[in-house]
Amino acid sequence: MRRLKMPQVPWDVLSSLTVMVVQYSLLYMIFAVPLTLSYRTTKVINFVHSNFVTYGAYAAILLNGLYGNRNMLLAAALAFTVSGGIAVLNNVAVFRPLDKKGAKPVALMISSMGLWIFYKYLLYTIIDLATYFSRINFVSYPKIVYEWIPSLSLGSVKLSSSFIATSLSAAAMIAGLYALLEKTNLGRAMRAVSDNPTLSEISGIPRHMVVNLTWLIAGGIAGVGGVLWTSYAGSITPEAGDSMILQIFTVGFIGGLSSLTRTCIGAVLVASIENYGITLLNQFFGVETSYKPFLTFITLITTLVVSPPLGAGGGLPYKLFRRAGRSA
Amino acid sequence: MPNILEVRDLAKYFGGVRALDGVTISVPEKSIVGLIGPNGSGKTTLFNVVTGFYEPTRGEVLLRDDDGSVERIDGLNPNEVFLKGVVRTFQVPRLFTSLTVLENVLVTPPVQIGERVLDAPFKSRWEKQERELARKAVGLLKRFGMGDYVYSRVTELSVAHIKLLETIRGLMTSATLYLLDEPAAGVDYGVARELFNYIRGLREEGLTFFIVEHRLDVLMDYVDYVYVLHNGKLLSEGKPSEVVNDPKVIEAYIGG
Amino acid sequence: MPEFDLLGFLIQWLTIFGLYSILAITLNLEAGFAGLTNFGKVVFYGIGAYVGATLTTYLTLHLNNVDPFEYPPYSIDGIVKLIELGGKSPPLSIGLLALSLIIAFIAAGSVGFLLTYPILRVGPAFVGFTLLSFGELMRVFLRHYEPVGGSKGLAAIPRPFSWVGDPKLSGFLFLLLVLGLVAFTYITMDRLTNSPIGRVFRAVRDDEIAALCLGKHVPRIKALTLFIGSGFSGMAGALMAYYFTSVNPDMFVPAVTFNVWAMVILGGMGNFTGSIIGVALFTLVDRLLAFITPTLGVTAISPDYIRWMFVGLLIVIVLLFMPKGLLAERPLKTPAADEARKLLAEGVGSAQHT
Ligand SMILES: Nc1ncnc2c1ncn2[C@@H]1O[C@H](COP(=O)(O)OP(=O)(O)O)[C@@H](O)[C@H]1O
Ligand SMILES: [Mg+2]
Repeated sequence: MRRLKMPQVPWDVLSSLTVMVVQYSLLYMIFAVPLTLSYRTTKVINFVHSNFVTYGAYAAILLNGLYGNRNMLLAAALAFTVSGGIAVLNNVAVFRPLDKKGAKPVALMISSMGLWIFYKYLLYTIIDLATYFSRINFVSYPKIVYEWIPSLSLGSVKLSSSFIATSLSAAAMIAGLYALLEKTNLGRAMRAVSDNPTLSEISGIPRHMVVNLTWLIAGGIAGVGGVLWTSYAGSITPEAGDSMILQIFTVGFIGGLSSLTRTCIGAVLVASIENYGITLLNQFFGVETSYKPFLTFITLITTLVVSPPLGAGGGLPYKLFRRAGRSA
Repeated sequence: MPNILEVRDLAKYFGGVRALDGVTISVPEKSIVGLIGPNGSGKTTLFNVVTGFYEPTRGEVLLRDDDGSVERIDGLNPNEVFLKGVVRTFQVPRLFTSLTVLENVLVTPPVQIGERVLDAPFKSRWEKQERELARKAVGLLKRFGMGDYVYSRVTELSVAHIKLLETIRGLMTSATLYLLDEPAAGVDYGVARELFNYIRGLREEGLTFFIVEHRLDVLMDYVDYVYVLHNGKLLSEGKPSEVVNDPKVIEAYIGG
Repeated sequence: MPEFDLLGFLIQWLTIFGLYSILAITLNLEAGFAGLTNFGKVVFYGIGAYVGATLTTYLTLHLNNVDPFEYPPYSIDGIVKLIELGGKSPPLSIGLLALSLIIAFIAAGSVGFLLTYPILRVGPAFVGFTLLSFGELMRVFLRHYEPVGGSKGLAAIPRPFSWVGDPKLSGFLFLLLVLGLVAFTYITMDRLTNSPIGRVFRAVRDDEIAALCLGKHVPRIKALTLFIGSGFSGMAGALMAYYFTSVNPDMFVPAVTFNVWAMVILGGMGNFTGSIIGVALFTLVDRLLAFITPTLGVTAISPDYIRWMFVGLLIVIVLLFMPKGLLAERPLKTPAADEARKLLAEGVGSAQHT
């Protein structure tokens, strides 16, 4: 057997890479779990989801740039309100009326695409105005350093304050959603609506309220994810959410847009594949790191072929791979 | 008569739900076989597995060709099963809602020249066939009293006509085996009888029918043989007169 | 007020109108008729543009005995050579045009065909999303691939009619070519959709599962639709490269796709004439904006952003209040209805409808 020459991977590189993978895993969870949550209750494929993240980030940025806020909790509260509010508004003004008129799910998805474009350029306009009046460059804003949040170092491993905040948020989200979905009547109602909308209506659950609340929570969490992003990314632009839409949706698809647990696993998977993968390819084959999205795309394609989320958004009972060689 | 369709020890589980659990059924050529059972007993699932909609968890489905060779068809895709001469209708009708009644019926015929992309832009190549198919379609529609609805959108039809159209659409092929899922549900008694008379006529011409039906008053007068499913298992089988008097069957129906 | 050049304006507007018409008509075939939510329209347009640009620049150099590897078309030297050589020989220009169109069709069509593989079994959402993100990947790739100029792209693409001399006349000839291709696209799509295969398209869109169970090879139909739609879009892309004489990755952003979607939705899904009206309205407004914007001077709010907000809102508003668009889908036109009418007329006792 041929001996492979193992290049030395320095321990500190590996450990900081791993910290990064963990941080991305947690961020993707916070971005994608609300996507799955909103889809399974509302059955809308929602492209505005990427706006939720960006608007959350810009809620924090404007608060920081215009008022000097460095309190992350305040930023998160505003982001939750803004993104959650947008989500509820979309439902009340667009999705529900379309649904009432008997529009097909495809029409709802296309309308969400229209909203996506609208919100994206609305934000650009807001940023232009803010920049015009304050003379601060909001189009590319540096990372925000929030106060009160400690950073840690365990030996050679350094955990930034952003890492600490992200971990705490992810833990809070998972615990909160678990408590909500498993322990409260509202959560049970949310699950009932996602399992069987018509039946739940008959059994007296106020479906519209449940749907609106789901949107609020989903939009809100994604918005908080945007705030976390402002503490981590090198610089933040109005494309922040859009630039991660491939990752967010891939993670959601791995979760079949139905299972929150599998969505979390998807987050770890995508974060690992793209970060470890591109580092390896870069080290050994000199592949540029900007090709990182290709790895994510391959993950997406593999998911669609091998384990397509058939229940979600239609699906064809057509087998691409068949058990071969049969006769009687 | 040899069996055109044989289902051997067929099982289909959905997670913990055993929709089918070891079912063995044979459908002889040129016969009308009934499949009955309470709601949720697995009848539709059986059709879904036979037509390639689902892969079975266990067991096999065997189909006999025209030339007498027998072939396993479980695991084939639905379109391939159709092209082997097995047509199914849906319990919950799946019509093409933006098409007219006539066009719905015209979708079915399998080998259409105008469905080949290189021929489609040239009307002269397929016009003759299209007109022939249209004549056949109108003939069928008129026969079942739907002559007045040829140009209607299917969204304007009554429930009974929708049900009927499902079946008529299936009859537009030269298939040899028809799986009909509750063809008479919601159809009025007279038309239901007309439908079954027609089916009996087609049987005389050599076609085979395997029919799920809740309207036992109609079904039992036409079938040669009946299978009874209950909770995914065969409860009883036999001639119609034997089955209706089987105490197990009576209990299953009364017990729900 | 600068002098208004009406003829120039018309040629400009109609050329852009023509290019977008091809995209809109084919998107309507895919999404309006066959139910394929192609959110990656720009991919195929982009492939066509890059194929046209690459073939034309490299071959112009090569066939004029300039080594394209010594003077690559993306370098300054290459561009100088291209400007020098372009439009010298009519047969070469026309030959390259024809070759570009054919290869653009095949390349874009094949990518469309292959891309249907992973999305065969999944619903429209995944189709849309996969195609959308493929477009973004394509841009990442183009930005880093030097032979096609990296992020700067390719420039000085020789135009097919520049040998005519008079720029107005060559622009007009090019316009005729574009409109010719629009007519060809329209007629092909109109015939395809009013035939038995058009019936199958609509059946697949209405209920792909029922179509599959009635023996239609739904995956093949989807792949075919995307092949045709993408092939024609590729040709439009090649023409676009000639028209602007340059291509770069940032020309092929998702916004282009959404523009086309807005046109199709406004015009009416399932109606090609509607698409053309949608394109005409959109491109006209855009051309006018291009005239007005400079006169506004520096503004706090970019008119471009306002335009995009309007595009997004328009999609939503049309879906909400005018879901059929300006022109509704027309019923299928095949001889079957006519044959049936004859039969029903002679039939005894059977009343007739419509
Ligand atoms: N796709 C599915 N997923 C989960 N359970 C299913 C599915 N299809 C059918 N079932 C279950 O299988 C059982 C049999 O259903 P079905 O075959 O439709 O019964 P029938 O047609 O006899 O009324 C039911 O309990 C039903 O809930
Ligand atoms: Mg049933």
